[in-house]
Amino acid sequence: MSKIRLKQGTALVLEQFPDDFEEYLYDGDTTSHGVADDLKITAWFVSLPSTPQLSPQEEQEKLLEEGINIVKNQSFQMKRCLDKGKLMDGLKHASTMLGELRTSLLSPKSYYELYMFISDELRHLELYLVDEFQKGRKVADLYELVQYAGNIVPRLYLLITVGVVYIKSNELSRKDILKDLVEMCRGVQHPLRGLFLRNYLLTCTKNVLPDCEEEMAKGNDYEGGTVMDSIDFILLNFSEMNKLWVRMQHQGHTRDRTKREQERRELRILVGTNLVRLSQLECIDIEKYKKVVLPGVLEQVVSCRDPIAQEYLMECIIQVFPDDFHLQTLNSFLRACAELHESVNVKNIIIALVDRLAQFAQNEEGSGIPPEIQLFDIFSQQVAQVIQNRPDMPPDDIVSLQVALINLALKCYPDKTEYVDKVLETTEEIFNRLNLDHLEHGSAVSKELIRLMKIPVDSYNNILRVLQLNHFGPLFEYFDYQSRKTMSSYIILNALENETSIPSQDEVDSILSIVSVLVTDQSDQPEDGDDPEDFAEEQGIMGRFVHLLQAEDPNQQYMILNTARKHFGAGGDKRIKFTLPPIVFEAYKLAMRYRDSQDEDENWEKKCQKIFQFCHQTIGALIKAEMAEVPLRLFLQGALTAGQIEFENHETVAYEFMSQAFSLYEDEISDSKAQLAAITLIIGTLEQMSCFGDENHEPLRTQCALAASKLLKKPDQCRGVSTCSHLFWSGKSTAQEGELRDGKRASDCLKKGVKVANQCMDSSVQVQLFVELLNHYIYYYERGNDQVTIQVLNQLITKIKDTLPSLEANEETEQINKHFQNTLEHLQVQRDSTDREGPSYDGLTI
Amino acid sequence: MGQVHSRLTISPTPTKLAWMIHLRMLTTVHGTEAASDLHFCMSEQDSFFGFGQSADISIVLDGQDSRKTAEIKTEDGKKERHFLYYDGETVSGKVNIALKKAGSKLEHQGIKIEFIGQIELYYDRGNHHEFTSLVKELARPGELSQSTSYPFEFLQVEKPYESYTGANVRLRYFLRVTIVKRLTDTVKEQDIVVHTLSQYPDMNNSIKMEVGIEDCLHIEFEYNKSKYHLKDVIVGKIYFLLVRIKIKHMEIQIIKRESTGTGPNTYNENETIAKYEIMDGAPVRGESIPIRLFLSGYELTPTMRDINKKFSVRYYLNLVLVDEEERRYFKQQEITVFRKAEKHRKAMASDGPKTHRSMQHHTNRAEPPPSKSEPTNEQVEDKSDNASEEEQ
Repeated sequence: MSKIRLKQGTALVLEQFPDDFEEYLYDGDTTSHGVADDLKITAWFVSLPSTPQLSPQEEQEKLLEEGINIVKNQSFQMKRCLDKGKLMDGLKHASTMLGELRTSLLSPKSYYELYMFISDELRHLELYLVDEFQKGRKVADLYELVQYAGNIVPRLYLLITVGVVYIKSNELSRKDILKDLVEMCRGVQHPLRGLFLRNYLLTCTKNVLPDCEEEMAKGNDYEGGTVMDSIDFILLNFSEMNKLWVRMQHQGHTRDRTKREQERRELRILVGTNLVRLSQLECIDIEKYKKVVLPGVLEQVVSCRDPIAQEYLMECIIQVFPDDFHLQTLNSFLRACAELHESVNVKNIIIALVDRLAQFAQNEEGSGIPPEIQLFDIFSQQVAQVIQNRPDMPPDDIVSLQVALINLALKCYPDKTEYVDKVLETTEEIFNRLNLDHLEHGSAVSKELIRLMKIPVDSYNNILRVLQLNHFGPLFEYFDYQSRKTMSSYIILNALENETSIPSQDEVDSILSIVSVLVTDQSDQPEDGDDPEDFAEEQGIMGRFVHLLQAEDPNQQYMILNTARKHFGAGGDKRIKFTLPPIVFEAYKLAMRYRDSQDEDENWEKKCQKIFQFCHQTIGALIKAEMAEVPLRLFLQGALTAGQIEFENHETVAYEFMSQAFSLYEDEISDSKAQLAAITLIIGTLEQMSCFGDENHEPLRTQCALAASKLLKKPDQCRGVSTCSHLFWSGKSTAQEGELRDGKRASDCLKKGVKVANQCMDSSVQVQLFVELLNHYIYYYERGNDQVTIQVLNQLITKIKDTLPSLEANEETEQINKHFQNTLEHLQVQRDSTDREGPSYDGLTI
Repeated sequence: MGQVHSRLTISPTPTKLAWMIHLRMLTTVHGTEAASDLHFCMSEQDSFFGFGQSADISIVLDGQDSRKTAEIKTEDGKKERHFLYYDGETVSGKVNIALKKAGSKLEHQGIKIEFIGQIELYYDRGNHHEFTSLVKELARPGELSQSTSYPFEFLQVEKPYESYTGANVRLRYFLRVTIVKRLTDTVKEQDIVVHTLSQYPDMNNSIKMEVGIEDCLHIEFEYNKSKYHLKDVIVGKIYFLLVRIKIKHMEIQIIKRESTGTGPNTYNENETIAKYEIMDGAPVRGESIPIRLFLSGYELTPTMRDINKKFSVRYYLNLVLVDEEERRYFKQQEITVFRKAEKHRKAMASDGPKTHRSMQHHTNRAEPPPSKSEPTNEQVEDKSDNASEEEQ
């Protein structure tokens, strides 16, 4: 063997033939240059022929059309020759036809069309040959004959066609032919032409690949081959195709890069078909997949260092092979992921795999993930490895990976909270390491993190289980204000939607700490504050949430309320308005619980007292926040509740609450409408209560009457006193059984009302007031108050009737009139009714 | 077996001479002597003259019915078939001399048969270089009164070279029967074809070479053998070690170089016998491209080196790479072509397994010479293929 080392001086000869190069070209280059041990270069320059101006698209169409015309013509001739039995001539035409596939001018799309056209035509040839072979008319050495074709592209297409015919007619040579075909295809190194050629190989051999176990073949000298031969065949074809595909990326001008990548994407299915074919081999079991198929594929994918190829092929692997294969090869697959090119979106690949396996775990009834496969641990480790290998990986992608992991944990191991927690912990560590915090709301990473954290919330639909994740809360630290708020509201709304009761003080403590952005002021909150409507809505949610704080044990419940009170109490004036009232109401409810179960707890009275103190103090906080109306109502509600629970001192407590309400009324409420509403409430409350002795009831009702008569506006006064009248009639004190029934005082109130009404300047309001008064009078009349007579009613009716027509016709008048008419109708019915009890309406003029 | 076309060939020079002599005699010589000469001279056209005795000579070779024939080109490119002989084979048979006229005698100065091997250089037509010339006398001078048959035998005659017809040279073997006359001899020639058979060479190394242009293109090529028989398959591969140019395609050519003459008067005639594309497109480093070229489809002769110091026929494999700017990079490598023993070849030609085995070749780095005892079953295992070894 002679071996020439270049560096030791085999000279390079560059010969230029500007003159008679054409002759040189045709004669070959052997004329007079002697035998040389080194390479020679001969060079000349050929000017390009000018082409007519056509758009690239038109150009392509034209070229394709020309090509197809030639193909049509040649295939017609080929078929004619075959019909006449002239095989050699037929092959010659086939070869000429295939010569069209040598073109470099067509775009991948056009080339594909031409290829499809030609491969259809080649099928005729194949069918003809198979037919001939079956009839026993074997053409000796056909396999050799087609190899005399001078050009490689047509030659290899013919070789494949004939090779497959050989295989179909005699399986014995199958193994060798397959091996030969896939090797010979190496001769086409042009990416586009090579890809299509190898695709042709793959298509033609589709149904003839050996697919049987080695054991069956052994000893039989079975030359047909086994599934292992098919694997070798496809793997080789695959890696060659992939290399060609990757090579496309590096050809041509950089400015065409986008176009080139687009073209590559169009061609990817050609490469992927190899994997599909592998997946169709039935004899590939898990063992073979693990030991031969996957390592082979991954080796090629990893070593090609091409992002487009890696991304596509990894997803291809996931999609084409069955789940149980993936389960058994997770480590190697994921390790390969870690080694992919840095611009490959590994995230998508891993997520695709996780999604598949998660689905598998859920779909497969009974089987699920085999227990020996520590699916989560494997993924967890490998994902960590991937992240470590890629220092430039964007944080949002990192979080996306964690999202995938958490999905996996939740779907495959729904019971293992620790897995989910592990993911959160890892995430936290990563954020720590990357020194990330105050993730800007709306940024990709923030969005991803929100997505990550919503997953356990949505999946558990139980905030208590979420609370068991130790690393859930701490992750809130990495959000900015806005995101914390979004996330917090999400959790709380989830609890509300699922009506999740929070049964312990610790849990209350945790939740409220986590959602502290909704509970207290934050150091990073915007200075201009939130939109008031949004704020109200958000705090409204918190108010609703308070009602979820429910323990079974009342003592526990008390502790819970205290804890909540502490948290919400720190929320500042704007928040406590929304959050403390529900606490007070819950406290009242708790007091009622103690009353209902007083037999079980001998200390219930003291506890009730304590609750009322708690409420008193809580309401006090609201008052300090310069609120009046809400505390007033809370006091009234407290008084009512205390009145209903007969614990020690309950009257004192009730009285205290009433008097607090009064003092709020007097000191803090200045708006006349609010005043009227407040006094109406106070009156209503007192009217309902029955716990007071006369020494307490008397000053209270007197105070009510006084306050009502002192209202600023006449109509308010009128309405106030008429309402107040009921205190003297249906109010209750412990001094006597039943209602007070003080007809005189009630009637006095109404008289005062009529008097005040008369003073009203606005006749419309006046009539309205008269109608209202009439109703009060009717009420008393029907209840048997002897101070109210038919005459009084008649007077009022007459007065109303007189004034009503003079009112300006408008909507208000209409309403008043309707009210009046309804009232009259009532009276009419009462008057005309015969079997009625109560005082008679004789003498009533309507 | 096809009908052998045997034809009376009169080599150009004697014929012309005969005509010249003949014409002079017609004009200057008178008398019976001359007339009889004239008769004889005109023996080819005896029907025209219609008198005098003439004879048809034919040569019948022994075992003619079962002897193989072989095709050979004539000088003008047509193809002829002749009986095929090998070196050392006895050439024997019968010469039949048929007298055309019954009752008339044919006087002669003796009858002989020659076995001649000669080289004809086209540019030197006057000189034929006979490297073999054997003579057997069939009859002493006398008279033939009837058609006669003479057996002849050239025992184990040496035929050192292969019959060949080239662009500038021709090597031929023929038998020549001469009936010597006083003026013009009657001559009959019959060509035979000789094939030289070679045993499978003991040494048949692969050709392996690394070539290139520094920092531009380094390739390593390998042809499985350096010596190929005529129906052989060239199997090999090209391995790209470094590629910094954009190659468009690569082809392999078979070039036949016929050299005639010596020293400054050497004539070289190159002919590209085959052009065979083996690669389309631009390879990258590390690619290995297979070569498989069946030789039987091409018109090859065995390599002839310095035949009788007159001429040589050599074959070269020319590997040509063409880049996108149409620059051609090439490397020529001589191979030896030989003719394998027929028995051997016949076995190789049996169909079916042939494709199979020939395919295997390209995976083998160096094919060991097959043992002579079993030349047809070249079971060559690929050493890298463990699986197949295990199976056996």
